[in-house]
Amino acid sequence: MTSITRALLASTAVFLVTAPVVPAADLTVGFTLDADTLDPANHRKRETETIIRNMYDGILTRDSNMKVVPEIAESMTQVSPTVYDFKIRSGIKFHDGSDLTAEDVKFTIDRITQEGAMGDGQTSPRQSLMGPVASAEVVDGDTVRITLKEPWPILPAMLPFQEVVSKAFVEKVGSAGLATMENGAGPFKLVEWRKGDAIIMERFDDYYGGAADIPPVGKACVDRVIFKIIPESASRVAALLAGDVDIINELPPFSVDQVKNNEGTDVMTVNGTRSFFIAMNMQGEYFDDPKVREAAAHAVDKDLIIDKILGGNAARIEGILSPDAFAASPDLTRYDYDPELSKKLLAEAGFPDGIEVTMDTEGAFKDTAEAIASLLTKGGIKTTVQVGEGAQLSDKWRTKGAPKSGDMYFTSWGNGSLDPYDIFTPTHKTNDRGNSAGYSNPEVDKLLDEAAVELDTAKRADMYHQAETIVNAELPYIYLWVPQDIYGVSKRLKGWKPSADSRINLHDACVE
Amino acid sequence: MSLGKLIERLIQLVPVLLGVSLIVFVMMTLTPGDPVQIMIGDQAVTPEQEAAMRRDLGLDRPIVERFFVFLGNAATGDFGTSFYHRRPVLEVIAERLPATIELSLVALIVALLTSIPLGVLAAIRKNSIFDRIATVGSLLGVSLPGFWFGILLLMLFAVHLHILPVSGRIGYSAEIEPITHLLLIDTLLRGRFDAFLDALSHIILPAITLGLPMTAILMRVTRTSMLEVMRQDYVTFAEAKGLSRRRVIFRHALKNALIPTVSVAAIETGSLLGGNMIVETVFGWPGLGRLVVESIFLRNYPLVQAAVLFYAVTYVLLNFVADILYTVLNPRVKL
Repeated sequence: MTSITRALLASTAVFLVTAPVVPAADLTVGFTLDADTLDPANHRKRETETIIRNMYDGILTRDSNMKVVPEIAESMTQVSPTVYDFKIRSGIKFHDGSDLTAEDVKFTIDRITQEGAMGDGQTSPRQSLMGPVASAEVVDGDTVRITLKEPWPILPAMLPFQEVVSKAFVEKVGSAGLATMENGAGPFKLVEWRKGDAIIMERFDDYYGGAADIPPVGKACVDRVIFKIIPESASRVAALLAGDVDIINELPPFSVDQVKNNEGTDVMTVNGTRSFFIAMNMQGEYFDDPKVREAAAHAVDKDLIIDKILGGNAARIEGILSPDAFAASPDLTRYDYDPELSKKLLAEAGFPDGIEVTMDTEGAFKDTAEAIASLLTKGGIKTTVQVGEGAQLSDKWRTKGAPKSGDMYFTSWGNGSLDPYDIFTPTHKTNDRGNSAGYSNPEVDKLLDEAAVELDTAKRADMYHQAETIVNAELPYIYLWVPQDIYGVSKRLKGWKPSADSRINLHDACVE
Repeated sequence: MSLGKLIERLIQLVPVLLGVSLIVFVMMTLTPGDPVQIMIGDQAVTPEQEAAMRRDLGLDRPIVERFFVFLGNAATGDFGTSFYHRRPVLEVIAERLPATIELSLVALIVALLTSIPLGVLAAIRKNSIFDRIATVGSLLGVSLPGFWFGILLLMLFAVHLHILPVSGRIGYSAEIEPITHLLLIDTLLRGRFDAFLDALSHIILPAITLGLPMTAILMRVTRTSMLEVMRQDYVTFAEAKGLSRRRVIFRHALKNALIPTVSVAAIETGSLLGGNMIVETVFGWPGLGRLVVESIFLRNYPLVQAAVLFYAVTYVLLNFVADILYTVLNPRVKL
């Protein structure tokens, strides 16, 4: 009690003397994580990229419907299955006033894709995001040609993740300098980075306007943008409610009502890109039997959990792909909730008294996993939830072919490109890195491999549909849902929509 | 205390630090979870690229070799490169350290300024209502989870009453050229009283949250020790001489009663560092504690090792200071 009285006295004193000075057009984002670095080529984190993306532009970008559109490039032409040409716009300036040229774009791509191109023998940790890129050259002065080692239809979908740097600037300050300084061609320029606290940016007045396909084209609306780092969810929500910030990311579902009911704040959602599912260990004691897997699928009431635990903020899935992803099949069999059928299937499989299993998951998903476990238990699969930590669980389940120990794993896989290539393949191809179920089907492997390099979009979609139909019948996983990204926003905020790739683009956002 | 003793104590630090290094090193390495796998996440990486990442981070070498390389480098002040920031670990830690030091110091001051008067008051009004409230309060103070208490303060003062900021160290408009990197001091040195108040308003809630358990402990120690001293002959004698009660308490009793308080305070200061991890997370305080927590989850070995060594050194030194203070305040005690 005494501390509270003291705080009250002290804070009242402070309040009386400080008149809050808030410039009219500041937009503050309450954000979960600080950037690791400001070097666009030297990180592997979504949060870092979101921060960098407001200072740097890419060759291509996405609109809010996830359609890939030219940004620094004026146009893109596919010359052959392995050659793409990008015509670079003229008149784009970096923050230091210098012109952005095709040379800078080539330099950017080389820096990411070539061995040791970061200096000091370091290779960009983003190299693998650029798949089989062999080289980049400048042709005709303003065109950059990217050549691939083999056909890779998702190159355009991956380019929005790479930001264009200035060759002259990188040569001047080095990779070490780029970690804390920036010279991008994006809508905002860096004012100050207070590590662990905030990143402060201001509008870049010579901005060329961004992608022509994403109106309104022009300078940014607000004078300053501040990413304020608040890792703890409850504190982030508090900051929004108190009016300290205008947008918060990762609003927990249980705080949605509180934010909606609060005057001056609202909730915005967008379909996310992360699919949640339960891997059933197909090399284990029970789940090697398709009947047992089917029993499990019928025992989980997805709709109930989406409704009650996720507050309705998720889309149900019957396969690994998000309904928004390329080639997501709408005609997959639904395994409806039917615990009696589950028990019957178990009995047919030789377990009339049911089975006892454990389900691994991370601490953050404990509640959801326990709800699922109680549903499974009702269906005859007595499930105990066992909480582990992310890194440890990956070691245990994503064994790339090595034996797995454990029965079930409640987990998720991200798909930022919304292309099956980086979610379907790793989770379903034999011994691939995300294949937690230990699933193996040569026919699926073949379809996935061929689809990855197929250039005819219709044929490619058809291959994925075939693969989806096979795995939907064989059920290595119980496919659950794709949660929406939930943002809390201030009603002062105008012109901003959350993006399905989890990036927060503030170019068009205004505050009243 | 002689210079010889002092040097002896400092030499005793060496095995402690070696032990801590070994324990941290082994624990971090044996904890399941591979930093390279975490960095890769869901992304596609060929085995060659993965091997190259491992080589870049020096993780391809055997653990024993890595330990000795670490020790050798650490002896020359090189703690390696942070996996994620890709910059020297010491540089990354140095950026975060001042915020943690500032918060700990303010928490310490808050704890000392509140616990001692309250403890003395509780002692001289033994068994009064005030004494009982203080006793219950101090019990709560040690047992309330800092996390919960912090959120509570935050909801009350920042969200409902709207008189204090939710998180951070200072507003964005206050640009202060650093001198000591302690904002409360720098703002005053620069003559920026407005910025000083801004920084002060940011530090109040985290400092109270962080200092609460310490306040509670110190209050108990002061109360007990005060009661002890008040029973001594010289206090009775002073009272018998007809000195005023106030004079007896403050001139005669308090000075001696504070001896245990001061040494407990010095030791407890070390525990402030541990509390920082939680408090910094709740209040978005840009200090070292949060960085360490994040780094543990990411298996950022070099950063965690360096930070834990730093904590160990600080803890040992604070104990050392506590011993010295004790001998200074109480000349009968020899180390």
